[in-house]
Amino acid sequence: MKLGIFKSLRKYSIPTLLSMGWLVIIALTAVLYPLISSVDPKAIYEDDLAVGPFTNGHLFGTDTNGYDIFQELLHGTRLTLLVAVIAVGVGGAIGSLIGIFSGYVRGKIDAVVNVVFSAILSIPNLVLALGLVAVLATAPDVNSTVSSWRQVFVVILSLTIVIIPILGRIARGATLSWSNREFVTAAKSMGAKNSTILWKHIVPNVLPAVMAIAFLAVGVVIVAEGSLSLLGVGIPDGNSWGAILAAGRNDMEYTPHVIYFPIICIALTVISCNQIGDVIRQSLDKREARI
Amino acid sequence: MSNLAPMLSLRDFSVSFDTARGPLYAVRNVNIDVADGESLGIVGESGSGKTVLSRGAMGLLPKRAAHRSGTVVYDDHDLSQVPRKELREYWGTGMAMIFQDPMTALNPVRKIGSQLTEGLRIRLQMSKTDAQARGIELLTRVRIPDPEAVMEKYPFQLSGGMRQRVMIAIALACKPRLLFADEPTTALDVTVQAQVMQLLSELRHEMGMSMVIVTHDLGVVAGHTDRIAVMYAGEVVEIAPTKQLFANMQMPYTEALMKSIPRLDAPSGLRLPVISGRLPDPTQPETGCSFASRCPYVTDKCRAEAPPLVEISPGHSYRCWFPIGGSR
Repeated sequence: MKLGIFKSLRKYSIPTLLSMGWLVIIALTAVLYPLISSVDPKAIYEDDLAVGPFTNGHLFGTDTNGYDIFQELLHGTRLTLLVAVIAVGVGGAIGSLIGIFSGYVRGKIDAVVNVVFSAILSIPNLVLALGLVAVLATAPDVNSTVSSWRQVFVVILSLTIVIIPILGRIARGATLSWSNREFVTAAKSMGAKNSTILWKHIVPNVLPAVMAIAFLAVGVVIVAEGSLSLLGVGIPDGNSWGAILAAGRNDMEYTPHVIYFPIICIALTVISCNQIGDVIRQSLDKREARI
Repeated sequence: MSNLAPMLSLRDFSVSFDTARGPLYAVRNVNIDVADGESLGIVGESGSGKTVLSRGAMGLLPKRAAHRSGTVVYDDHDLSQVPRKELREYWGTGMAMIFQDPMTALNPVRKIGSQLTEGLRIRLQMSKTDAQARGIELLTRVRIPDPEAVMEKYPFQLSGGMRQRVMIAIALACKPRLLFADEPTTALDVTVQAQVMQLLSELRHEMGMSMVIVTHDLGVVAGHTDRIAVMYAGEVVEIAPTKQLFANMQMPYTEALMKSIPRLDAPSGLRLPVISGRLPDPTQPETGCSFASRCPYVTDKCRAEAPPLVEISPGHSYRCWFPIGGSR
């Protein structure tokens, strides 16, 4: 069994393996966080304010408030990945459903869907997310505050809305081309129902294309979430990588390591996702070429 | 040929498509009958409307783009009046189709077995094990070696000839009474072509079904059909029992098609005769004979007036003012 896994991994290049490794590490960190760390990420180390990496047991150092960056990052992995996975998962599912359906039925429904997708896509991701967050997560009264959970929810919601047309469009395009293939007509000529054709003939062919873009979308979402934090409307209180970055930016001149580490984490994750997405796309292209 | 009511009967059957340049008439006023157990060949060059005719008769054309008129009577049911949803009842069990290109007519991500048994499970409500057994039997029937293994393979693992056999097996799965074979051998090597045609003929006799073979190659249908209809520019220009057609063709287009078949006994170095010119623009209605622009025997009458379909002997009709056999 073990040998089989190693054998099947051997066909991938080293960058791909490193990407897989990194994604597995952060995924495990996110899932097993309570087992990995029992230290309070918000503990303040008053004796070690703004110390550099590898000082007094603080692996990545502390910031000017005395927070341990490593512990914060470990803790932030959870929310960062949660936001990305939910936004891409839910957004991708909704987008694919809409895209596949509209691509299959065509006609007026498809025209409307296409226009709506195009309209949403014409707004830059970040501006759209920013606008949605600004509308949905601000208190009408200046003095009242918005709860953190509502803020998190709104961030996820707005990023989901950003993802829907991106993946929806891919699904629609793939459906348009696959539903024109001869085997769909052939299935029809054997008396297959539309639902059978959709689920058994179209979805299995469309899904890989969506998957490839979904990995890229995870990267997009993580970057967008970090950007929202920098703009002050993201996840609050240093609870995600972007938020740690945003909190550290004020002291950039004194404690630059505070922003280096979240940046490295975000960059590695985005690069890894892109790499995996590319691998999926390439294997698709190979398959296409063989047909 | 039997004298019973035909199994499939097309009357004034026309198909047109909407294009940017106006309606495109792909099939025009075709009248064809297919008797029970009969094998009919439809021959014509690319663009003559033979594929559209067969798909249109089955009702497989996209409903938005294609407009059909005339009637399609299958087994006393006028299919042109049957709503699309109920048409499905006829597909697979009543009529089935073998598709032109076995490379694209199979779903690349599903195993042969699951595609083959799909029709059995949906249309005949067979259980999984029954369908599996029947699938293996069908593959054996189309002479596929080691059918159990092929059931578990994906289309890309099979050769073109094997895939075409699988296509035939899929089309035959629900024991259709009428089989449309749309260029069943075009994508295959010449050596495999003969095998596949032979196989189709044998299966037709075994299962007692009617067959419509659509092809551009007169040689392919010569030995395997009872009657041949020659199509040009969406019209049937000559229809006759196979032997009659080869012995006594009337329409210059049929003659031209015949002459452009490569012959083994022709002296070497001789150029293969081709039909010069091209099909008339299907968006522009013709005033005269549709073949007038390419016909070697064309006269002013041909250009001015379209010839009607004339019956010369029982079952042999043609469209020509000056038939080859007649006075010219």
